[in-house]
Amino acid sequence: MDQLANYMPILAPILIIQLILLIVAIIDLVRIERTNGPKWLWALIILFINIIGPILYFVIGRRSN
Amino acid sequence: MNQWLTLLQKETLEMWRNFKWIWVPITFILLGVKEPLTAYYMPQILDAVGGLPEGAVIQIPTPSAAEVLISGLGQYTTLGVLIIVLTTMGIIAAERKSGVAAMILVKPVSFQSFITAKWAGSALLMWVSFFIGYLATWYYTGLLFEWVPFDQFLQTFFFYGLWLTVILTITVFCSASLASPGMAGFISLAAAIVISLVSSTLSNWLEWSPAQLTTYGNEVLINQGISDQTLPAGILAVICIIILLSLSVFIFRKKELAA
Repeated sequence: MDQLANYMPILAPILIIQLILLIVAIIDLVRIERTNGPKWLWALIILFINIIGPILYFVIGRRSN
Repeated sequence: MNQWLTLLQKETLEMWRNFKWIWVPITFILLGVKEPLTAYYMPQILDAVGGLPEGAVIQIPTPSAAEVLISGLGQYTTLGVLIIVLTTMGIIAAERKSGVAAMILVKPVSFQSFITAKWAGSALLMWVSFFIGYLATWYYTGLLFEWVPFDQFLQTFFFYGLWLTVILTITVFCSASLASPGMAGFISLAAAIVISLVSSTLSNWLEWSPAQLTTYGNEVLINQGISDQTLPAGILAVICIIILLSLSVFIFRKKELAA
């Protein structure tokens, strides 16, 4: 735990950015009408797969129009 | 010109609406920053993962700042290219499929400004994201290793950006000339991979290849100065971009008139 506190100043910005990505993806998922594939599955993917999950959602999950 | 700016504005607005302006820069930051972080914390990561026999000593030479930056840039030419192609493959093909393109083109909008505005919009997104991502990588490399001079940073940014723009233009061209976005993405990825593979294996003969711009960028980082071949490669890259753009306008016009 001590060590972790040492790394925090360096790692914190990355974690925050990652969190922003996750939140944006979730907000978009809630507001969008339809996705490619079931919505609840995308929610799980965004929440539980680090970094790749939200990116995957934006790239293939969103259905435009 | 005025009309062109309106079209460009429409493009950027659309990219706001589907959050591209948020997630593409963030992805580029995460892609690049990963490299200096893992390089710096490798001993701790190995410790934490464990599984090493008692007393095992692993000597990992600390990489130089330039090496770390080069591996960060390597992420942009692999996964970054994938992201660029995936985000732009649909810009024309998908709009044609859904009928939005037809809706815009019934208005007095020239095919030329339609395509170039789309290209400019995605190029803007790519350059901004790449700049933010690379700046973050540079900052972290400086923080954890050594500071690489800022002019070297700008030079490599420009070289890599030019090569990424060539790939982006290939994608726009495929998107304009093929019917489905998936096909366009696949072919442009294949083209990008083949071009970089061929130019890196035959690097002695293909010094002027735009894909070599990445090699020249790396040379700048390891203090070898700017190679003489950079100018021809850069000029060829710009020529490729112009030719591909005019070809896509030409093909798109033919297809739209036929449809």
